[in-house]
Amino acid sequence: MSEHTLKFFGDELTQLKAEVTRMGGLVESQVEDSIECVVRRDVELAQAIIGRDAKIDELQRDIERKAIRMIALRQPVAQDLRRTVAALKMAWNLERTGDQAKNIAKRALVLAEAEPLTPLTRAVERMGRLVVAHLKEALDAYTSAEIERGLAVWRADEDVDEHYNALFRELLTYMMSDPRTISSCAHLLFIGKNLERIGDHATNIAEILHYEITGEEVDGQRPRRHGTDGEHPTGDDQ
Amino acid sequence: MPLGPLSPPPTGSEAKASRPDGSGTGALIATGAGVAGLGILAATGLARLEPTLLVAACVAGIGLWAAWRSRPDDRSAPDSRAAPPSQPGEARRSAFEDALETLPDPLLIISADEPDDLVGKRLTFANAAARTLLRIPREGALLLSAIRRPEVLEAVDESLFGGVNASVSFETGGAQDRFWRVWTAPLLQREPRRFCVLVMRDETDVRRNERMRADFLANASHELRTPLASLSGFIETLRGHAREDEKARDRFLGIMGVQAERMARLVDDLMSLSRIELNEHIRPDGRCDLGAAASDVADALALIAAERRVAVNLDLPPRGEALVVGDRDQILQVIQNLVDNALKYSPTGGAVRVSVATGQSLAAATASDPASPRLTGPDGGRLSLLTPDRADDTLFSVIRVTDDGPGMQRQHLPRLAERFYRVEGQKSGERSGTGLGLAIVKHIINRHRGGLWVESAPQCGALFVAYFPQAPAEAATSPDPSSIRVEADGAAEGGVADPMPVALVRQGRA
Repeated sequence: MSEHTLKFFGDELTQLKAEVTRMGGLVESQVEDSIECVVRRDVELAQAIIGRDAKIDELQRDIERKAIRMIALRQPVAQDLRRTVAALKMAWNLERTGDQAKNIAKRALVLAEAEPLTPLTRAVERMGRLVVAHLKEALDAYTSAEIERGLAVWRADEDVDEHYNALFRELLTYMMSDPRTISSCAHLLFIGKNLERIGDHATNIAEILHYEITGEEVDGQRPRRHGTDGEHPTGDDQ
Repeated sequence: MPLGPLSPPPTGSEAKASRPDGSGTGALIATGAGVAGLGILAATGLARLEPTLLVAACVAGIGLWAAWRSRPDDRSAPDSRAAPPSQPGEARRSAFEDALETLPDPLLIISADEPDDLVGKRLTFANAAARTLLRIPREGALLLSAIRRPEVLEAVDESLFGGVNASVSFETGGAQDRFWRVWTAPLLQREPRRFCVLVMRDETDVRRNERMRADFLANASHELRTPLASLSGFIETLRGHAREDEKARDRFLGIMGVQAERMARLVDDLMSLSRIELNEHIRPDGRCDLGAAASDVADALALIAAERRVAVNLDLPPRGEALVVGDRDQILQVIQNLVDNALKYSPTGGAVRVSVATGQSLAAATASDPASPRLTGPDGGRLSLLTPDRADDTLFSVIRVTDDGPGMQRQHLPRLAERFYRVEGQKSGERSGTGLGLAIVKHIINRHRGGLWVESAPQCGALFVAYFPQAPAEAATSPDPSSIRVEADGAAEGGVADPMPVALVRQGRA
């Protein structure tokens, strides 16, 4: 009897993880597309991204509902509980990541109306590629439950911050030398911030994975160093 | 082109029948089609095969395989009438399985029950290429654990439940961008289970060539414009009022010579960059001694170092120890560019330090001294310009090049390896570079699956560190006699005559 219940519960957990993975795939391609639409000034793609965000929200609600139902009905303990809670946290994080991608797409629409700023867009693209790589690694680690892989992403977040700071300064210089670019540069600056947040979400995923498997928080402080003279917040809420 | 079936393989003892319940009629038809498909494969060669043909061939082959495979397990199915055992069918089946397994393109067979059941979609088969690429842990794994890209999942659904062929293409990020095209096609449906096949093809090279053509034109035309403008300006002048002025003519011709040289250097660099990029996804297979390469580069640059009165201090392991997998010419170019840069930015009387270490883990290769003035100094920092895709237990050989030049602010670090990027306000001397040196370095290292990081601060100089995966241990202990012995002999003789000029100080490892 109990074995049956356990097996059934195991299936439900597998199902839940599969849904999180699918949601991860969707979010990942949203982020990739959002960078693409900034770089290529692709209005149609940007609109498609904004449209697809509803699907992500729906998946998040669905996962949340299922996870809460599992907790209520099966009252899991130990690793089962952690896996359920991890799925919940993943869904929240991924939903936030999706929102950042949508935000980038919205700004891409505005940017497409202004004059192109090719060298700056390239800087955004470079940062975007890095962030996408981190997100992919983090999701791969989550899917295959490889802690070490996740921790590697967690440690590498410094690179994203460094890119963000470089972009920040570059944009400032640009705006000072040519005030006509201020509007576009401000949007690019926010895009940079969005990307930096996505990088943070990737490290969150690594932390969730660590928690799911070991039940402990990741040891130590992530290497962080902010170069924009402290004017950008380090908080996790936005 | 021979389209007929191949002659059946011998029914000898090598065809071991573990499950001798053979093939049904449908499977036999599929066998014919599959064999014909294999005939096509053999005749045209895999690389040039039309993708659709490939899929068709696979579908036929897999049809047989799937039918055979699911039969013994599917005991409840009413139509699973067992055919008499047939040895040739057995042999052919295993040949098909082997053929799929060795296919260079990743191939998956996916089974499913219901459209909405995520857990029901599983991988019934994944060939070697697919297992490596997608890191599939075991047979029967969830489809989602291998692929989560929405457009691919949609294509799979279309084939599974819509019964149509589908094709999508996508790009993957990571250290090496790759561009994939995916085909899916439905297979024999055995209610309630459904099957489909998914074939992936790497189209990175095609896309890369397209992109490179565009990039090359844009960059090259931009960079060539300046010297060209000055050349044509001087030509005008020489044709006009300076025609009779001998003194001015000599001076102008001198400047024109320098500009032409600059253009030539630029074109050389651009060509070598594009060559490297074309081969970036082909792993090098030679072996190269990093220490020996560093000492060769130091020899080659000795003259320039002496001219600038900069010392080059070497700290190298004994010959033959720092063996890496790599293309010797390209590794020489990496070291040459790094040392050349260091020389350019070193003040007169300064020193450039080149050290090679071996047998380091990824953590050791990327570790920097936290007390280094470049990290603690104002506006200093470090950044990885290239990190290899996760390497489990790979050991690296590391080359570090340090200069005591003016250094750079942190904000420049992320853009260093960008083509034509120059740190503002820095003079690299009269031998101005092309702005491609570090881009070349980065692409070569990427091809070698190595990494590159930099550490610098204003007034504290710069440190560039490149690391390459070491050659496998057995290759180092039992080297290929033709390629390695020469170096080993050289070491045994005590390094023959030391060709280091006086300006260079060699620091042996005590």
